[in-house]
Amino acid sequence: MITFRLNGENVTLESAPATRTLLDWLREDRGLTGTKEGCNEGDCGACTVMVTDEHGARALNACILFLPQLDGKAVRTVEGIAGPGGALHPVQSAMVDHHGSQCGFCTPGFIVSMATAHLNGRRDFDDQLAGNLCRCTGYAPIVRAADAAAKHPVPDWMRADIPPGAEAKAEGGGGDSVGDPDYADVPGAWGRRAPEGATGASRAGGGTRAEAWVRPDSVDALAEWYLDHPDATLVAGATDVGLWVTKGLQDLGDVAFLNGIADLQRIDIDDNTVRIGAGVTMDRVRDAMAVLHPDFAELIRRYGSEQVRAAATIGGNIANGSPIGDGPPCLIALDATLHLRRGDARRDIPLEDFFIDYGKQDRAPGEFVEAVSLPRQEDRLRCYKLSKRFDQDISAVCGAFRITLSEGRVAEARIAFGGMAGTPKRARHVEAALTGRAWDADAVAATWDAWAEDFAPMSDMRASSAYRLKAARGMLMRALLEDLGGQTRVLEVTP
Amino acid sequence: MPDTLDTHVRFGSNSGQPITRRDGRAKVTGGATFAADNSPDSVLHAVYVPATIARGRVTALDTAAAEAHPGVTHVVTPQNRPPLQGDPSDKPTMFSFRFEALQDDTVRYAGQPIALILGETLEAATEGARLLNPRYEIATPRTGLDEAAHYTFDPDAFGKPADTVHGDPEAGHAAAAHSVDVTYETAPQYHNAMETHAVVASWDGDRLSLDMPSQALSMTCAGIAYYFGIPAENVTLRSPYLGGGFGSKAIPTGPYVLAVLAARMTGRPVKMMLTRQQMFGPVGHRGQTRQRLRLGTDAEGRLTVLDHAGLSATSTFDDFIEPAANASQGLYAAGALRSTHSAVRLDVGTPGPMRAPGEASGSAALECAMDEMAETLGMDPLEFRLRNYAETEPGTGKPFSSKALRECYAQGAERFGWADRPLQPGQMRDADGLRVGWGMGTAFFPCPMFMAEANATLRADGTAMVETSAADMGQGAWTALAQIAADSLGLPLDQVEFRAGHSGLPDAGVAGGSGHTATAGSALHAAGGDVIRQLGEIAAADPDSPLHGAGNAGFTARDGRLYVAGDDSRSDAFADILARAGGAEVSGAGSASRAPEAAEAHAMNAHGAVFAEVKVDPDLCQMRVTRLVGAFAAGRIINPRLAESQLYGGMIWGLSFALHEEARHDPARGHIVNADLAGYHVPVNADVHGLDVISVHEDDPYVNALGVKGVGEIGITGTVGAIGNAIWHATGKRVRRFPIRIDDLLGD
Repeated sequence: MITFRLNGENVTLESAPATRTLLDWLREDRGLTGTKEGCNEGDCGACTVMVTDEHGARALNACILFLPQLDGKAVRTVEGIAGPGGALHPVQSAMVDHHGSQCGFCTPGFIVSMATAHLNGRRDFDDQLAGNLCRCTGYAPIVRAADAAAKHPVPDWMRADIPPGAEAKAEGGGGDSVGDPDYADVPGAWGRRAPEGATGASRAGGGTRAEAWVRPDSVDALAEWYLDHPDATLVAGATDVGLWVTKGLQDLGDVAFLNGIADLQRIDIDDNTVRIGAGVTMDRVRDAMAVLHPDFAELIRRYGSEQVRAAATIGGNIANGSPIGDGPPCLIALDATLHLRRGDARRDIPLEDFFIDYGKQDRAPGEFVEAVSLPRQEDRLRCYKLSKRFDQDISAVCGAFRITLSEGRVAEARIAFGGMAGTPKRARHVEAALTGRAWDADAVAATWDAWAEDFAPMSDMRASSAYRLKAARGMLMRALLEDLGGQTRVLEVTP
Repeated sequence: MPDTLDTHVRFGSNSGQPITRRDGRAKVTGGATFAADNSPDSVLHAVYVPATIARGRVTALDTAAAEAHPGVTHVVTPQNRPPLQGDPSDKPTMFSFRFEALQDDTVRYAGQPIALILGETLEAATEGARLLNPRYEIATPRTGLDEAAHYTFDPDAFGKPADTVHGDPEAGHAAAAHSVDVTYETAPQYHNAMETHAVVASWDGDRLSLDMPSQALSMTCAGIAYYFGIPAENVTLRSPYLGGGFGSKAIPTGPYVLAVLAARMTGRPVKMMLTRQQMFGPVGHRGQTRQRLRLGTDAEGRLTVLDHAGLSATSTFDDFIEPAANASQGLYAAGALRSTHSAVRLDVGTPGPMRAPGEASGSAALECAMDEMAETLGMDPLEFRLRNYAETEPGTGKPFSSKALRECYAQGAERFGWADRPLQPGQMRDADGLRVGWGMGTAFFPCPMFMAEANATLRADGTAMVETSAADMGQGAWTALAQIAADSLGLPLDQVEFRAGHSGLPDAGVAGGSGHTATAGSALHAAGGDVIRQLGEIAAADPDSPLHGAGNAGFTARDGRLYVAGDDSRSDAFADILARAGGAEVSGAGSASRAPEAAEAHAMNAHGAVFAEVKVDPDLCQMRVTRLVGAFAAGRIINPRLAESQLYGGMIWGLSFALHEEARHDPARGHIVNADLAGYHVPVNADVHGLDVISVHEDDPYVNALGVKGVGEIGITGTVGAIGNAIWHATGKRVRRFPIRIDDLLGD
């Protein structure tokens, strides 16, 4: 059984299958068809909903959000953005006034992303809306609408989302009361036939397997359960596992949802160490890194979309072992330690040792990532992400450099890459070629042959092998030039 | 300037105003109903299984496993598929394609439907489809332009463009003092409207009801009816909103027919909604091209010849030859012009029209070739285009109905700051050391008109209802057409009820070719005129009307009143005229198409000029488009707010064509490896900086009664070439393949 708020009303589901997505539930079971399916894998944002919990209100992709992840949270769909009596939210009025909606299919997702940004006082619309694709407008009208709406206060009803667990007494949210359209000759329901009822549980009919799932509330409980269910699937943000289901049509078997474990969501910073729980979402990692390692934070800005960053966790980004994840190269360059746990046994390993081979990590059955930690250090990190599309694209090459100097010479070089091998990998030969040398163009030139010893990247649709090698070398030159005070933000183009 | 507008129309009271879209509220509240939002009682969900190979045969399907899955009701394969009454290889309408509807076990392209599962829930049907687990006999797929024989064809039908020759191209080549001979390639692209294809079909006896997005409602009804052996009027199609179309929703394809067939087979409503992955296969795409352009000029840079040969990919079983070379026909004054097309059959789904078919791909190559010619001449690219400015239609010498391209060049260049552009490439850097390049291209799109009909009814209370089966795929038909209708009736917009998006209404024709506003708008204009004419007759014959006896002078209509033309002191309210006539309604009808003699008398095109700035990282080759300025002249603009956004959108499509969109085939199995929005890139908001549209005033007395040319597609033309040329200007590197990839700029 799970309980959450939906557009201001409490909803209790006696049965919430582990792999039932919020999107399918909204559209198929609940009859709330305003939320659209554009890709069913978190790329387009047409299904964006606002989810509020103790970390605040965030825009998430409903298509890769499983119902059990919602327990205790509050959800607001496009149908719940207008206020009592059908009063339009400022972002809705502005989208009409500025012609931000054309065909209208992506519009519900934009509305929810914009309303969430509006609620949170965010004005960085390029980033806030990068996860919503539009094929009609060219975006300029949408950004104008977001700008215009920002001048208006947050409507009261948008503050009504108190998660059921935390509520004392909830005020009415007025979610479902959308008034008649202004323009009577184009009614919203024009063309709608016998829609599903506005409420109601799952309809009869087979197909829904009753997977067993748990949502432990402590790390100890998870450790114990996972030891007994070593073949189970652990789901944190579901930005990857969601695709196994919606696109791969995989059975997950037994599932543990991790987002109920507060200890996994802690960031602890002391004088010596930064420890990030495996369940910390990437948006929170970004906030923490903005102070400590701004280059990492900037990289995370281009990592997925707002919706993905708000769901994806640093533990998931590491544990799935992807050779093209953007987190691990940066963490490796920062000398990260991975904290693994199996039952009551814990072990700590250098992060780079976790990645053994493509698809293979140093993780025993029943063992899971508990946290990753970094030593506190002078910020010497430089990160470069190259992708065909600048924003919201998987990296062709992602390089992270931490080159520390002593009297003008390279004291230590830690260089790690994604996209250059079957795993995130350190450039140990390059590091060795640099160490002890004067930090100048000759040092960069001296690494020329070492690159090919470290890497034999593949050619694929994202980039050719030759390009990857050249780009990796170019990144080192960039790192040098930045140290010399030359061009600073080479990938930032100011319009 | 002659004014062909009917005297009763006072344009400007509604038309020309930047009215917000009338369906805006429904869309921002989630209330606008798209096809897949319909769920009739007892609906069955249909999911088809797409082939994962591009060429071969299906050898086995685990039908028993699928049938045994709880909730699966039917498994349809070529072995048990009920018959269709019309052959899927027939072409019942002008814009029909052959399609795959489980005729046999042959696989002709990846993504082809090879089985259909029906289930009580979407999840059950999806799981049933997975359980089918198809096995194949795999043949070597042909997905590249050189992997099959090239052929020529007779231009006898839609999709087979005719070759065109004006003057003597060989003489033009021989006479040239300077020449370029360059070959450009464009990638296969997929429409990827945000709304995937979807249909809810239900039968009642031999009557069929369809909820589906359609850019051409009547033609779709006729096409579907043919395959099921029923009269077209037995089909009711509702398409109030399309979540984008871009050409892909004008023609019913195999998946739609399968869903309708399933509904007939089961006697229950059937819903099918394609997944994003299924958008790469049976529902059309922009075919890949290779275009050779040979240009020659005299010593002063005047074109002696423009010779454009296109090679286009089509499927193994139907012909849609991207008419890319036609883009060179109407734009530049050349001593001789030649456009030819050849084709190659590949193991891909049949291509089809995709936003600016022909013009987009052709303009990309043409505008780059023009830039290369200017480079050869050592001439500014804009100056080179002005030197070859066509005062009359190249080849035919026909006058243009209107052509404000000079103004587009001038205003665009001024806004962009083109005059400061260094001639040589690689001369500009920004403060951060990025290479900066500026490029330009001419935008060009024809102004077709199709056929449309409309009705208008003036009600006793003086309000009106107008109707035509127009399709709003985002461009704003609900709003712009209502503005035209209101003006034609002399009524404020809020006094006019507008009905559209339903096949039971008068046929509005096709929302395509940038001709919908012009065509359906002209029909509405005529229908309104018919009403006003009748109303004038009633008033003139009514002794109690201030207009009595004034029929010969003619009337104008505005704000719900009829006025004697040229005499504002004599007028009568619509409602009063009708009240005295016994409270009757007045109904009128209108139709629109372009008369052959009008088409013969003038060449009709919209024009524009696009200027692009790119920045390229010198070490990493990452590219960004930092500014786009487009100036367009497209006749009368009915709604500047809507039109500007159409142009923005078109320019972003141009950016996307230049840098993003490309389907990549697996060489072994032939499937598309990036068949999703993670791998098939379209721009995100943060990719798009500094976008500027200038609408250049243009009066066109000939193109149609409204003077409307259309803005839906022109924005993509010109833009692709402008970006490619800007990248050259930044780097000195000519990349003759779109999209331009970071790898392409690799080099020392």
